[in-house]
Amino acid sequence: MAVTLRNALREALQCGWRFRGNKFPSPLQAHTGFLLPAVAGQSSQSITNLPSRVPETSLSRPPWPELPIIDHLEEAKRHQAVVQKVSNILASRDYGRLFAVVHFASRQWKVTNEDLIIIENHIDVECGERIRLEKVLLVGGEEFTLIGRPLLSRDLVRVEATVIEKTESWPRVHLRFLRRHRYQRKRIIIQPQTVLRINTVEIAPNLS
Amino acid sequence: MTSRGTPSRFLQSVLQNGVGRYVCQLKRISLIFSKKAQSSLGVREYIEEGVVDFAKKNPGTVVYVSPQSCRIPKIVAEYLNGNVREEIVTAKPSREVAALVQKLSEQSGLDIIRIRKPFHTSSPSVQGQWHPFTNRPPSIGPIKPQDSQAQ
Repeated sequence: MAVTLRNALREALQCGWRFRGNKFPSPLQAHTGFLLPAVAGQSSQSITNLPSRVPETSLSRPPWPELPIIDHLEEAKRHQAVVQKVSNILASRDYGRLFAVVHFASRQWKVTNEDLIIIENHIDVECGERIRLEKVLLVGGEEFTLIGRPLLSRDLVRVEATVIEKTESWPRVHLRFLRRHRYQRKRIIIQPQTVLRINTVEIAPNLS
Repeated sequence: MTSRGTPSRFLQSVLQNGVGRYVCQLKRISLIFSKKAQSSLGVREYIEEGVVDFAKKNPGTVVYVSPQSCRIPKIVAEYLNGNVREEIVTAKPSREVAALVQKLSEQSGLDIIRIRKPFHTSSPSVQGQWHPFTNRPPSIGPIKPQDSQAQ
């Protein structure tokens, strides 16, 4: 245990030095938005040479380890690779069962094919008709997930459902009672309900 | 007080209805009324106005109209899963009777009891169940026992 603590402290001290070096950004850094490696090395060196006036305590640096600076070019490259991989999957239709998160009846439902969902009201559709759920927030397969910001476009995803039942909820008893006041009100609430069967969760073969 | 003691079921449908095509679950509906009684006035009006339209609109449903000498007119609905629902329509006007018949034809005949969850799925997880190590970046490295991490 003691060994662990000492090691952690040493690491943390090193991190702290490095962190303080990057704490005061040079004007070039603020202007470009990201650090070039050479510039970063120079600026950190010039600042770490200054003597620190704060003694090293547990509060003189944040407790989390220093994170590497995000390289935007590297990020863009990785993003491109991920997009390419997902497009290949979509083009070859090599995904298994798809699921989607749809917003319907002021709720979010995670649905997949042949699911049933029940909605606490009637909708203006006859039994047996198909409707399309257009507010799709997320679509996922076995290997990938597409997340909308906040919604996915209607050309990309298609979620369809059939109304199979328009029924009523079980009678809920709503009883108000005040003792010693001869007050009692009883109301029986029956809410109309609609049962939907999800028929298709489809996705277009190309990412647009 | 609470609803926990009440009978309950999960959300279901009869024989995967709606996966292929939709089948109306009402098999047979019989209107039992009296020719003379005052309490059957609304049912008699409905039979004059609306019952033929209903029968034409729902070819999968058999509609029986049976006048009997009875004080309490009834609508008996039989469903494809074998359930029978009997509704009493004493002194109801014809539009209420029409709404009731329409409602019976849109139901599936399953028991109207508390439904435990508003969804049903037979494939609960497509990407696999979440556990603390899903989406763990490989750069962190494998998980080791506590002792080897300390050295």
